[in-house]
Amino acid sequence: MKKAGYVVLVVILAAIFLHSCVNIDRPQPQVKQSSGITEEETVDYPSQRNVTIDGEDFRQSLAPIGKFGGSLVASTIGEGPKTFNPFNSKDNISSMLSEVMYDGLLGTHPITGQPIPKLAKSFSVDGNDYLINLRRGVKWSDGRPITADDVVFTWQNIIFDGYGNTSTRDSIIVDGKLPTVTKIDDYTVKFTTPKPFAPFIRMLSTPIAPKHIFEPAVKKGKEYFDTFLSTNTPPSQFVTSGAFRLKEYVPAQRVVFERNPNYYVINKADQKLPYLDKLVYLIVGDINNEVLKFEGGELDVIGLQGANVARFKEKEKHSDFKVYNLGPNTGTMFLSMNLNTRKNDKGEFYVSPKKQRWFQDKNFRQAVDYAIDRKNMVFNIANGLGAPLYTAESLNSIFLNKDLKSYPRDLDKANDLLAKSGFYRNKKGKLFDKYNNPVEFDLYTNAGNTEREAIGVMVKQDLEDLGMKVNFKPVEFNTLVNKLVNTYDWDMVIMGLTGSPLEPNGGKNVWMSDGTLHMFNQRPAGYSKDDRFDWEKKLDELFIKGALATDFEARKKYYDEYQKIAYDEKPFIYIYSPIVISAIRTKFKNLYPSMLGGLTHNIEEIYIDKNNK
Amino acid sequence: MQIIKYILKRILQAIPLLIIVSLISFFIIRLSPVDPLAELRLNPSVSQETLQKETERLGLDKPIIVQYAKWAKSFLKGDLGITSNGERVSTKLKERIPNTLLLTTIVILLTWLVGVPLGIAAALHWKSPLDRLLTVLTSIGMAIPSFFFAVLLLIFAVKTGWFPIGGLTSSDFLEKSLLGQILDIAHHLILPVTVLFTLSLAGLQRQMRANLLDVLDSDYVKFARAKGLSEFDVVYKHALRNAINPMITLLGFEFAGLLSGAALTEYVFQYPGLGRLILEAVMRSDINLVMASLMMGAIMLILGNLIADILLIITDPRIRRSDV
Repeated sequence: MKKAGYVVLVVILAAIFLHSCVNIDRPQPQVKQSSGITEEETVDYPSQRNVTIDGEDFRQSLAPIGKFGGSLVASTIGEGPKTFNPFNSKDNISSMLSEVMYDGLLGTHPITGQPIPKLAKSFSVDGNDYLINLRRGVKWSDGRPITADDVVFTWQNIIFDGYGNTSTRDSIIVDGKLPTVTKIDDYTVKFTTPKPFAPFIRMLSTPIAPKHIFEPAVKKGKEYFDTFLSTNTPPSQFVTSGAFRLKEYVPAQRVVFERNPNYYVINKADQKLPYLDKLVYLIVGDINNEVLKFEGGELDVIGLQGANVARFKEKEKHSDFKVYNLGPNTGTMFLSMNLNTRKNDKGEFYVSPKKQRWFQDKNFRQAVDYAIDRKNMVFNIANGLGAPLYTAESLNSIFLNKDLKSYPRDLDKANDLLAKSGFYRNKKGKLFDKYNNPVEFDLYTNAGNTEREAIGVMVKQDLEDLGMKVNFKPVEFNTLVNKLVNTYDWDMVIMGLTGSPLEPNGGKNVWMSDGTLHMFNQRPAGYSKDDRFDWEKKLDELFIKGALATDFEARKKYYDEYQKIAYDEKPFIYIYSPIVISAIRTKFKNLYPSMLGGLTHNIEEIYIDKNNK
Repeated sequence: MQIIKYILKRILQAIPLLIIVSLISFFIIRLSPVDPLAELRLNPSVSQETLQKETERLGLDKPIIVQYAKWAKSFLKGDLGITSNGERVSTKLKERIPNTLLLTTIVILLTWLVGVPLGIAAALHWKSPLDRLLTVLTSIGMAIPSFFFAVLLLIFAVKTGWFPIGGLTSSDFLEKSLLGQILDIAHHLILPVTVLFTLSLAGLQRQMRANLLDVLDSDYVKFARAKGLSEFDVVYKHALRNAINPMITLLGFEFAGLLSGAALTEYVFQYPGLGRLILEAVMRSDINLVMASLMMGAIMLILGNLIADILLIITDPRIRRSDV
């Protein structure tokens, strides 16, 4: 008992030790890596097209014809999948692995980000109506045809009825109403949303379940469904529509997929894809082990971070792998000030009135923004592998407002803005507001996240150049979340959120004034008083309109405007987005890396060229 | 008969101990500021209803004492509950226990088979070059932190390519013949076993040496020698039997370590054992899983001590005669 506790303690200490080692090992402040890795690789991806052969509707790959056989070994960090049921997954790894096995009606074009047909042969949108034509002759891995019944069953009996993880269902409720799904004939399905609701089209990438397998489970009730197709289910019971099906799952070691012989994508020679016989995901505990496994040749593809990038780039020339720059990811790192003006149950302000005056002051927020040295942070914290960020949408978003320009650090401008609002500096250079209060506040972030801690230190230094006194306090992650969503007792925080590069509506929880993550001005649940700022009202309106419009250009206008407001008002001061770097063995061909899809988005087209060196 | 009575008494004594252990562990875990739902709360696409449902499912909305009572009740029924991901704790443990047992049993067998003879040899050749060499080697073994040693061996594996980098089986394990599978597992086990073996060998060898030296120095051994018994009889019939007693107590602790002893090494080598599972559970404050492992550790320790004591009764007549 004691021993177990002791061991756990030692392991944690050791993990922390190893962690800090890795950081110490990082090269000290350096100039941008001149290794040619700064520019993203651009690719010309030959998009797939529909073809019909003998009454069967295939999707044809136009990539060069490859050789069959071999396997690709990738990895996931952490504990591995919790379930293989795509409707139960709550974590990224489970969703990713179940998406290998189950295709949705639609997918996403890896370059343009527009919806493309997958299990659907074609689709058309007319206001509220989404008409889907299915492919004839496409089969589940057990040989049964995939028909409209499967689609209707999936949407009506699993998703709308609230089985498994209900987040898909929750996100498509419009004005308290769910969309409807109707079968027109065996190969045609119609969805109707209660109102025009643009984000719905992205939801059609939700996997489709084989009715003959899932129906008995659904009949046994929700509790049974939660355990259905768990990680303990024998692989032979999985009937899939994706390029691969489950072959073996060894807890804490690996997940092995084998090729689905019934997959509906063919190559130019009309042979059924995928080329690879096996797709293996090793379950590794941490990044260090992952790197070791790649260097030891056990892994074929790896995501790289920090100092490893420079090291791998150096080795690349005389090794059997190539390093790809996939561009900035969807992660956003930002600094936020607490704009809360409300009082708690005891009648005390969440934020003291003098601090409220500073944070509410747009000049103050903009001064902070100008004082932040983003470039310096990218070089020193992200090893040059980041892109300075100024917009609320991430840099790879198809809705990014490209008119919002970047600007360098400008202390003079910052000082001018502060002076405009009556702030002044004393002889020692300390900043005071016009009521002679020294400007001093707390800056929080979650302890243990070395990147955010490093940003905190640099933000503190940058703001001290303006004469502000910043008390930087990294606190435990849970404590921080509690401050942000429950107790609201914070001044400034460094946080990060991930968004979707395809659908800004996912950010409504953050940007709409009643959102659960509207952290810069969080209102308690059920708060009814309308004390929104004018720009908050405008944001609410834009998010509602943006979801209702279905035309891309029309939507883009609304979302451009929301980004402009965020850019001007600075509720969040964005810092940078990390850049995704991956390495893959050169023996793999047909690689078309893209910012949206990553390295292996076209897994069915990737093949191994054994003669390659 | 007396032995059975003794065992019953010991089991009764263990019950309050287990209750106290469970209470302390439960409250420490629950009162720590780890919120199992913190990740979900910060995910923009998770709705308030989902959060509410999760809170209820994990019983986080109830007072801590109610949570404990609920846990204790199902524990007594033999139900270990579900993990925070909704899987059964018992299945999770069942997946990992064989792996950990495989590793620890091999290590314990090896250390005892090598450590005890080496200890005897060192004691019999006290202050000889052999003894000195073994002392130096075991000092090194005890001084290297297992974590560091494991990392060193991993780097060795990467550089030479002679050994797999962690894990227990290769990715083409299923396609191998039975012999191939056994060799594959053995190949994966070499490095972790080396680390654990080096570590525990040192302690065991020194213990055995010290015990035997003590006994060899005692009056009855001198008497036996004076009586003219052969050196072989003196050492192996009389001295060794007395020297082995403290080792049996040690064996009891080794038994407790069967399931919990290798967490550190498991973590470095990405070995799919209990240690890694529990560490990840602690990080997530997965109460049922952590509690199950802590209780398992406590029970194994009590059981190990009990077995050691019973073995002692059997081997040592002096204990048998005194108040059992």
